Amino acid sequence: MTGTATESAPHPPHYTSVPDWSREPLVQPVDPLGRVHTVIEVVDGDRVATRAVVAGWLAALAGAQVRHHTCEDTSAAVAALEDDLVAARVGHRVLVAGSADACLAVRAAGVRAGLADDEMGFGVVSVATRTVWCVHCSAATVAELALDDVVACSGCTRNLLVYPHVSRRTGQHLGFMVDAEEA
Amino acid sequence: MGRLRLVVAGIDDTVPAVRRLVLAAPQGGELPSYTPGSHLVLDVPAGAGRERALANAYSLVGEGLHPSRYEIAVLLCDPHGGAAGGSAWVHTLRTGDPVTAMPPRSSFAPVQAATRHLLVAAGIGITPLVSHLRFHARWGREAELLYLHRAGRGALLDEVAELTGGVASPFHDRADLLSRLRERLLDQPIGTHLYTCGPTGFMDLVVSEAQEAGWPASRIHLEHFGLDDLDPGEPFDVTVGERRFEVASGVSLLEAMEQQGYAVPNLCRQGVCGECRLDLGPATTGVWHRDLYLTDDDKAAGDCAMACVSRALPAADGRSHLEVSL
Repeated sequence: MTGTATESAPHPPHYTSVPDWSREPLVQPVDPLGRVHTVIEVVDGDRVATRAVVAGWLAALAGAQVRHHTCEDTSAAVAALEDDLVAARVGHRVLVAGSADACLAVRAAGVRAGLADDEMGFGVVSVATRTVWCVHCSAATVAELALDDVVACSGCTRNLLVYPHVSRRTGQHLGFMVDAEEA
Repeated sequence: MGRLRLVVAGIDDTVPAVRRLVLAAPQGGELPSYTPGSHLVLDVPAGAGRERALANAYSLVGEGLHPSRYEIAVLLCDPHGGAAGGSAWVHTLRTGDPVTAMPPRSSFAPVQAATRHLLVAAGIGITPLVSHLRFHARWGREAELLYLHRAGRGALLDEVAELTGGVASPFHDRADLLSRLRERLLDQPIGTHLYTCGPTGFMDLVVSEAQEAGWPASRIHLEHFGLDDLDPGEPFDVTVGERRFEVASGVSLLEAMEQQGYAVPNLCRQGVCGECRLDLGPATTGVWHRDLYLTDDDKAAGDCAMACVSRALPAADGRSHLEVSL
């Protein structure tokens, strides 16, 4: 510990709602303190990379009580998580591997079920796709997007700015009309 | 915020060594509201064996919505046994005596998003948790209490029985409570939060049992009464602008700065209130924080310290130095 540790301040800023693992692919470690672990493998993206992430986690959890679910898409993953959490007790941990878009959606289901941030870990293999929620018509637009890009809303065709804010409750990015002053 | 002027409106000494004190505005009327689990910091005057005035925090028993009175429960701690003398002073107060206090503050509120609350108290640590229980009873929240106290010395037992429907029978033996706690920690639905208040050694045990059962830090909440005696620490030197002086072992940075003539705002002098926070410059070699106020991020940044409890850590060359920016 030194008095000049400020250079190593977390980047991206820790005060944003956009997790670092949805800006660039990152794999978080398992939490060995958990008593039971749900491991969810969402295979609608890069199957090989996702499988490798999960294999690493399973090796680290050897001997622990693990429930491993391989899910074809996000909604199957959400259903598997919700099912596991019905009877779960505090001490449970959840790991999700797949695209950032899938991880955000599954995290939202975990938050709604009462999981805390330090009970969930993520292994992200791609951050290309984002879901944008339109503040004007509430439609969700899924596309290959970076933060601050502009995309036409799939519901109302307004040009939406992909604002760097993610809802913890839905896992979707905030989108609002970028040219409201001109249009 | 300014001080509140209060008077003692009621005293109950039924339980040995535990005084329940009711405070009210001199002319009656509404007092500032507070969240459950809050404490009141009373001004304790110097004198009667107290070298200097103290500011002592006492947990409020009530629920806190538009109160007309503040009620605290204070355990008598023996000044001859090393206590600072604040609780002994509370035990000398009489009805009608004036008392000044900081408005209630909270660092131990129930988590609003929690679906269930597990409360673990020892001794007088029951006080803020009775406040929690009142809140849970009003809003129909699920709560469970484990309470340890010496036989015949239980505080607030009537409230506890009423608020828990009589199901929370107190424990008189630490081992019995721990064995029940182990069981209960393994069987709490997702969304439960754990709250503990009691002596530091007791809370350490509760936390280690919870960790053992896989509870993450975000679900564990503690209310500290204060710190146990701190290690006197190694001497270190300090610069404030052009001035340089040494802080001896056993002397706090706050005391050393006061001796040097600096007026550092302070209140609890035990690392809890945050009043004596100082900014540190880049010549600082390292900080041994020891306070309960700063967040982990604040501590990692290393650019501030609590004058009352923090000390310098040595650099690789063995020098221990704090650069204070006033």
